[in-house]
Amino acid sequence: MRLALFYSDLRGIESIYNRITAHELGVFLVSNGIYHAVLKENGKPSPILDKKDATFYILKEDLETRGFSDNEVDKRVKVIAYDDLVDLIMDKYEKLAWL
Amino acid sequence: MGELKNKIMFVVQRPPYKSEDPKLALTHALSSGVTSIHIDEEIVPTVAFIGDGVLNCIKDQKSMEAYGITSNERHIKNMLATDTKTLVCKEDIERLGIKEDRLIDASDMGAEMTIKVVPFNEILKEMEANDHLMFF
Repeated sequence: MRLALFYSDLRGIESIYNRITAHELGVFLVSNGIYHAVLKENGKPSPILDKKDATFYILKEDLETRGFSDNEVDKRVKVIAYDDLVDLIMDKYEKLAWL
Repeated sequence: MGELKNKIMFVVQRPPYKSEDPKLALTHALSSGVTSIHIDEEIVPTVAFIGDGVLNCIKDQKSMEAYGITSNERHIKNMLATDTKTLVCKEDIERLGIKEDRLIDASDMGAEMTIKVVPFNEILKEMEANDHLMFF
């Protein structure tokens, strides 16, 4: 399955996230999920970015709404605008899930 | 203004935007001045940010540009401009790796009040000193 997974919170959804696998997995950091790409809690990057074989995206609008900019984003995560997000979920992935 | 004084502390524990809770805390605190006039009692608000709630205090929030909504930064700047005591938990900003220079200030609005970074213990003392506590 080609799955686009929307990760939208800072806490409480890791256990489900960790169990989800897909042949092709795109993780979209949106809403309060963006903090996983910019914060280093206790000096460490978020473990959600360690998921194997996933492609990570972060929504620029949600990043900037919360006071962060592109240059603070973890190098493993691609910054995309809302238009790009629409294109990706329409063209690249066949199913969507929202955590 | 009447003789009575009510000290109310608003404690924000959730990050901004996904939940409305932080914005409710800020707008309630901001409305204290108007409330004082209506009920003829002085309302003295204090706002404290703890846990993931400290993420509300990061400056340069662009929610108006992205989604057309007033940012929590704007509310916090208005609080500072109206001399609302505003505390942020030192341990939590350190845990999340947020430097103090990333915190909102309202000096461009002429505010003398700034966000005060304090240990959690000091926030607890402030809770004791207030008449009412509201957690958001």
